[in-house]
Amino acid sequence: MSSEYAQEFSVVEGKPSLRSLDEIISKPLNTKPGLKYYLALAFTLTLLSIGAVGLAASLYYGTGLWGNNNPVGWAWPIVNFVFWIGIGHAGTLISAILFLFRQKWRTGIARFAEAMTIFAVITAMIFPIMHTGRPWIAAVWLLPYPNQHSLWVNFNSPLLWDVFAVSTYFTVSFVFWYVGLIPDFATLRDRATSKIKKVIYSVTSLGWRHSNRHWQHYEMVYLILAGLATPLVLSVHTIVSFDFATSQLPGWHTTILPPYFVAGAVFSGFAMVQNVLIFVRKIFNYEHIITVDTLEKMNKIMLLTGTMVGYAYSMELFIAWYSGVNAEQFAFVNRAFGNYAWAYWIMFSCNVFIPQLFWIKKIRRSIPMMFVIAVFVNIGMWFERFVIVVTSLSRDFLPSSWAYYSPTITDISLLIGSFGLFFTMVLLFAKALPAISIAEVKAVVDGSQPTHHEEH
Amino acid sequence: MSDKKLYSYTALFDTPNKIIHAVKSVAEKGYTKYDVNTPYPLHGMDDAMKLKRSKIGWVTLVFGLLGTASAVAMMGWMMTLDYPIVIGGKPFFPLPAFGPIIFELSVLFGALATVGAMLFVIFKFPNNSHPMHDTEYMKNVSSDKYGISIEAVDPKFNLDEIVALFNGLGAETTAPIYFDEEEVNYKPTILDKKFLGFLAFVAFATSVGVYGTMNIALYLPPFDWMVNQDKSSPQQTSEIFANNASMLQPVKGTVARGFIPYKFSNQPEQAGKLLVNPIIPSVENLKVGKEKFDIYCSPCHGYLAEGDSRLNGKFPNPPSLHSEKARNWSDGSLYHIIVDGQNIMPSYSSQLSKNDRWSIVNYIRVLQRSLNAKESDLL
Amino acid sequence: MPKNIWKSIKEYENDPEVLKAKLDEYKEGVKDNFTPDEMSSLSRRKFLAILAASTAYATTACTNYRDKGEIVPYVDRPEEILPGKPNFYASTFSDDGKSYGILVKTREGRPIKIEGNPDDPINKGKIPSKVHASILNLYDPERLTEPTLDGKEISWEKVNKSIANLLASSNKEIALITNPITSPATQKLLDELQAKYSNVKVYTTQLFSNCNRQDAWKKSYDSEVLPSIKWNKAKVIVSLESDFLGKEGNRTENARLYAEGRDIVNGNDINRLYTFEAGMSLTGMNSDYRVRLKPQKQYQLVMALLSELLKRGSISSSNFDSSILSSIRKNSISSFATDNNLDTKKLTTLVSDLGKNKGKTIIYAGDILPTETHIAVNLLNDALGNSNLYDYSKGFVNFGSVSSPNDIKQLVANMYAGSVGAVIHFDSNPVYELSNSFGYAEALTKVETVVALSEAVNETTKLSSYVLPLSNILESWGVHQTRVGSITLQQPVISTLYNTKQKEEVLLNWLGNGSDDAYTKYLKSYVKENVYNKGSNAADFNTFWFSALHDGVINVSSKINSYPNFIQSNFANANTSVNGFTVLLQDNYSFGLGQYANNGWLQELPHPVTKLTWDNCAAVSPSTAKELGVENDDVLKINIGDREISIAAMIQPGMANETIAIELGYGRSNAGTVANNVGVNANLLLDGSSQLYFDNASVTKTGETYKLVSTQEHHSLDEELVKDLHLIRNIIQEGTAEEYAKHPEFLKEHKHEIFSITDNHEYNDVKWSMSIDLNKCLGCSECITSCNVENNIPVVGKDQVEVGREMHWLRLDRYYSGTPDEPIVSVQPMLCQHCDNAPCENVCPVNATNHSPDGLNQMVYNRCVGTRYCANNCPYKVRRFNFYDFRDHFRDEYYQNELTYLVNNPEVTVRSRGVIEKCTFCVQNIMEGRELAIKEDEEFTGKDVTTSCQTACPTNAIEFGNSNIPESTIAKNREHNLSYHVLEELNIIPNVTYLAKIRNTHSEDV
Repeated sequence: MSSEYAQEFSVVEGKPSLRSLDEIISKPLNTKPGLKYYLALAFTLTLLSIGAVGLAASLYYGTGLWGNNNPVGWAWPIVNFVFWIGIGHAGTLISAILFLFRQKWRTGIARFAEAMTIFAVITAMIFPIMHTGRPWIAAVWLLPYPNQHSLWVNFNSPLLWDVFAVSTYFTVSFVFWYVGLIPDFATLRDRATSKIKKVIYSVTSLGWRHSNRHWQHYEMVYLILAGLATPLVLSVHTIVSFDFATSQLPGWHTTILPPYFVAGAVFSGFAMVQNVLIFVRKIFNYEHIITVDTLEKMNKIMLLTGTMVGYAYSMELFIAWYSGVNAEQFAFVNRAFGNYAWAYWIMFSCNVFIPQLFWIKKIRRSIPMMFVIAVFVNIGMWFERFVIVVTSLSRDFLPSSWAYYSPTITDISLLIGSFGLFFTMVLLFAKALPAISIAEVKAVVDGSQPTHHEEH
Repeated sequence: MSDKKLYSYTALFDTPNKIIHAVKSVAEKGYTKYDVNTPYPLHGMDDAMKLKRSKIGWVTLVFGLLGTASAVAMMGWMMTLDYPIVIGGKPFFPLPAFGPIIFELSVLFGALATVGAMLFVIFKFPNNSHPMHDTEYMKNVSSDKYGISIEAVDPKFNLDEIVALFNGLGAETTAPIYFDEEEVNYKPTILDKKFLGFLAFVAFATSVGVYGTMNIALYLPPFDWMVNQDKSSPQQTSEIFANNASMLQPVKGTVARGFIPYKFSNQPEQAGKLLVNPIIPSVENLKVGKEKFDIYCSPCHGYLAEGDSRLNGKFPNPPSLHSEKARNWSDGSLYHIIVDGQNIMPSYSSQLSKNDRWSIVNYIRVLQRSLNAKESDLL
Repeated sequence: MPKNIWKSIKEYENDPEVLKAKLDEYKEGVKDNFTPDEMSSLSRRKFLAILAASTAYATTACTNYRDKGEIVPYVDRPEEILPGKPNFYASTFSDDGKSYGILVKTREGRPIKIEGNPDDPINKGKIPSKVHASILNLYDPERLTEPTLDGKEISWEKVNKSIANLLASSNKEIALITNPITSPATQKLLDELQAKYSNVKVYTTQLFSNCNRQDAWKKSYDSEVLPSIKWNKAKVIVSLESDFLGKEGNRTENARLYAEGRDIVNGNDINRLYTFEAGMSLTGMNSDYRVRLKPQKQYQLVMALLSELLKRGSISSSNFDSSILSSIRKNSISSFATDNNLDTKKLTTLVSDLGKNKGKTIIYAGDILPTETHIAVNLLNDALGNSNLYDYSKGFVNFGSVSSPNDIKQLVANMYAGSVGAVIHFDSNPVYELSNSFGYAEALTKVETVVALSEAVNETTKLSSYVLPLSNILESWGVHQTRVGSITLQQPVISTLYNTKQKEEVLLNWLGNGSDDAYTKYLKSYVKENVYNKGSNAADFNTFWFSALHDGVINVSSKINSYPNFIQSNFANANTSVNGFTVLLQDNYSFGLGQYANNGWLQELPHPVTKLTWDNCAAVSPSTAKELGVENDDVLKINIGDREISIAAMIQPGMANETIAIELGYGRSNAGTVANNVGVNANLLLDGSSQLYFDNASVTKTGETYKLVSTQEHHSLDEELVKDLHLIRNIIQEGTAEEYAKHPEFLKEHKHEIFSITDNHEYNDVKWSMSIDLNKCLGCSECITSCNVENNIPVVGKDQVEVGREMHWLRLDRYYSGTPDEPIVSVQPMLCQHCDNAPCENVCPVNATNHSPDGLNQMVYNRCVGTRYCANNCPYKVRRFNFYDFRDHFRDEYYQNELTYLVNNPEVTVRSRGVIEKCTFCVQNIMEGRELAIKEDEEFTGKDVTTSCQTACPTNAIEFGNSNIPESTIAKNREHNLSYHVLEELNIIPNVTYLAKIRNTHSEDV
């Protein structure tokens, strides 16, 4: 096996001693954060509270506070939901799929990406509940539990599939993430100086002893989880896309949606992870662990998925024309040239044209450039969802019921709030837990593995 | 020192190769109850320790399939057997629609079961009180050293031999690990005051919480259950009208569709003259007449219209309907009395439909004839 | 419990056994002095203790103690009322000189719905939206409740006394101003009043009167009785600036008869409707040929037609005096066409049609046209021998003609002069209605006593010292006659909610008859003398009276006037000059001018043509708009002489160029919370004459804009992307009569077979379906109002309509094709299609919407969590979402109060915030029918079940029923050659079938 590692470039730059790795990674946990950190936190909390106000208002007065109107039953809240679920894809993809493909470079970023997955999914899950007319009931009645109506839920409904898909995805990702954390908790436990920390880590580490008789099963389980998470991560956005694909609205009812949603999700997910990591590696001096090579690899994936998305956009148009159904054709012509053309072209340029810059190695490796591009990608991906959800609804079958949608201040506050929630959680995570998997990184440091050629 | 119970004897090495070598030789020596602790999994260590491949994958398979089965069973039962509803013209067992959830549940069951099995079956977690914890040895292996420990319970365990062996293998440090006294002598007591107090608190908190939510919180705005309807159902109260009744009397003198008012009120003789009995006596309508008579008339007039009812003596006695006078009354007059009442007898118009009234009249005739039959009846 | 209760006769008679038994109430075995420990180990007490404890535990957490409210049953139940079952009372609705026989549905003595009285020989159970919605006025929270003097409450006795004194003592004129009276009894009372108090003078005001028509008729035929028209007999109908289907005359009757002439579905050949008009009206929408023509030109048109007919010899010159002949000969079709650059073809086809169908055509001039034009039209009809389409047996009667503008001028002058002692506004609102040029409002200040009788506040009550609250129509007695053949009775269906009287009662009080049931008695005696005694009735009066109230209608013998001859001497030439912009002032479709403006349902009812709600607008033609550089919502300043208003423009396809049409009845300053400052008061443009259109208007753009909201987006007709989509997508399918005659299956030809991968569910028992005949549907929107009342539809207000949240379950889609200036209009009622494979059902996660065994797509409101997914997936977009609790949201809780709740149908759930709702096919009626069938213990076939839109439809375009009965109309219609489903290709199998519209145009110019 070791022979493959020989060709692999070193994931971790230099040859840090294992103990120094402990030092670096657990530093944020043991030291008081600086002013910068508190400023950042204050900022995100402000955003969060803006959202909280909007949320409280719409709960008390009703969804009427939003811009939704008669043909456009779904708008920003659903757009946000799909957007955040999409963001939540990079993490599990990195830790599961890349793990299966034995992509060693993932080790530096896996833990953080997974955490972001969990936070993104939490953020996303708020919207489908809050967008309903009676959230206090929706929260319960969407579950198939025996009730006084002796009525069950409708398993034909894609929304119900969502309920299962998203919650399963959340649970499994969380378990996956936690299993990964166990050895690190043990390490922290054994380094802990203060009594409280010791107690906490002793509990959370579940008594881990780094015993090889455990490592043996542990690795197997990790492999299995990766194997399970891989189809799962692909299924989640597929099922989210069913919300649209299985309906019969022109512009929604297209078979291409599932793959194209998944590609889009990975696309935006990577963009978001890359954005965050650029800060993290600076602030906590992880440059030699989260290396530029790693970031470049991520940009390559963005380039790939971005191009896939572009292909999907054009294929949609072709199929619509090929279908020969007027409503279908109109839906797409209307997207590109109708009253929402502006949104369509924002989407197209941000998602398809701009990422093409990543063909150039210089740009791929320049931190500021890749940051800006990734930001554009996220904007573009948000608009993709907007275009799909709103333009299709606002002009459907009967011209008599068409109407133009425009958001209200409440809609905006909810979007802002979602970012607030997400980044607040990210910041707290970076402070409270090892942002990088200690055990995994150690395992890939040069010379960390035995060189016993007599075996082979 | 000697009073402590020995758990195992350990040695620390500082390179992966050394530990692999060490493990091999320990294994050759035939020790069985030994373990290796490394900060991260070492490649080739499993072979060195001669460990068999982990079988935990079977758990995943079994529980994954269980997930599949239970998903199909649940949805099938709910939608097809327990409460089939026509939904969008789809069949009652829409298998394609079940696909996504079948998949999700399989994955969920599989994943949770696997992790659960690993933690609670194989690792016997949570056992946070292992003798190894809080030892120098543990601190080192969880950071950058590679340790091996041979347990005292190993059949071939011999302290001196092992120390020699470890030093021979170039161990950095070697040290014994003892059981923790408290842990060994710890006796759990279920009736601990704190514990009981805690239980009590939980019980209290839950019931208050549940009650508060179910009966108060959930009925404050904005929560709406459509229980209070902004409309007036029969017999509801209403603040608008007198004595809070939402049910009103129709305006005097108005005529509702299908209800031509009785026009002889307060004109008995008119009624007697002009009213004609539209119903020819028949078994059916006499049955109706009897039924209604027994319900509405018999309480005063008695089942046989002899005026001998349970009310006898309570009120001025109701008259027998067999009197000369009563027999000579025309059907119209009887009908009029039912509608308008007489003396202290109230009107029965709201209890009895036109049909019922005439049927009762006919029935009364039958009763009267029964006491004063004509010859013709005897034939 | 009463003390002396007994359990048996024996006990009652103090039977010793019973007495003994009473002493030891336990039978043998159990003594009084037993000890618990004799009993089993688990003693009863212990058991109870345990039981109690466990119950206590169980109940604390898991029950709720909320008050479920108390029950108040009848103490003595009236014979006719059964709680939970509706009663129906025949009565009469009258307003603005028109009257309709109505059937009021009551529950437990409270009216909840007004429907048409099928026994009414004129309207045959059909009533306009105003009447449907007027039930809301009964429960309007802002009704006047107490008589007031200068704002302070005062008792009726005092009021009547002082006014009676005033009437008696005052030596000045006392003016009583009323709207046209439809009740002979009321008229009699007014006469008596004048007889008793000689100084009382009665004035009648009516803004939209047909006085020109009457005047012309009198001049033409010297007859008071204006005949009604047998529209159903006409083969060719020519409407000159007349919206006889939408506003004019008795529109429900007109619509019904007209639609009888469009019954192509049952194989009858159909009439052809030509419209010559300047504004775009409902009639124009429905016409086969429509020509844009200014009202001033109509006279020439008639003359041109006459001359052309003469030229072709279709009519002989012998019909005419020489003078008339000469003035006819001055005109010709060709010159007329060129002068007004019209399509000559249309005119010549019209002429030939008229020639072909002599005696079977009718030319009908609009009320606003001048007397001369009307006379000319009468002449034309006469010459064509159409007079046999005049129906004298149903002619129009009216008591007391409308006062001329000069009378009003005189009155105002007298008021200024101080020679008017008192003005009594007898349920009229001249301050708003009369043109400012009279200066009426100022004049009122010169009068010492101003009395206003009114049901609700209005501009006049504001300026009156005495404000006397009137009872609602549903609280009043009355007798009405507007037509020759029939008299209708009015009876109250609820006793007065407030301290109100009906106006007749007030008059009686002033005449010195103070008793409470004064008018009831008066009415009875009136009917006895003037109706009962005149007719030959077998039955006694009581029987007669009761049956009359029961039916609501008394048919009186009407001697048919022998058809009089046309008096040629009165023929006169009209002034036909037109200069500059023409402004047309029109009646509005929904609520007229009276007290019904303050009715949310009517204000929110979309305008049948523009689909506008909560506003009136200045309608301009597209090309004129281009010239002026005007867009929708631009505010225009319109001057006619010194009179001016500013009003938002709306580009209305089909308007005549250089013409602006504005509807009146808006811009109320004191009509109540709902109506105040809604729209613009265009009465300010009136000049005091009876004229309603003016030339030489100057129209300028102010630069400001004002948001007009409509329930349908305005896509400009020439926008390539969206043009004619309704035809391309087969939403609207149409044909021409000739095409249909040639091959009746033309619709079915381009139909392709659709298959489903699963087999559909069977509906063997009952299967509900609806069919809508687009040949009969005129787009009058009465179905919408009726549905609103029946199904507790909330009013959402302008701000919510603006964001497309109106809650109407049924909407009338209006589509334009053709050119912007000469549009072809198609109307289509769109409601829940109750699809067998309903897309909405699949996507609801909680099963809140699913299918009933009788094929209804049902909505379980209280299961709905409000994901709105069903609304998204509904291709017809007929599902409505409660974004707010609209009762609470509209005009800060205007309609959320104990009183207005009473208007809600007890059989229909009042939907809360956050749930979806939609058309249910009036499932409450279906259930009522089913209950009845079960009670009668017979099989439920649903033959008598109707939906409220169906009963309301004046043209019976809507059929509803059980399509599993093959011989039923609905089943036949579903199989009809003209039947089609909207968006058939989606294979969702709708249960609403549309019957394609057949246009009666000549193929060569289609």
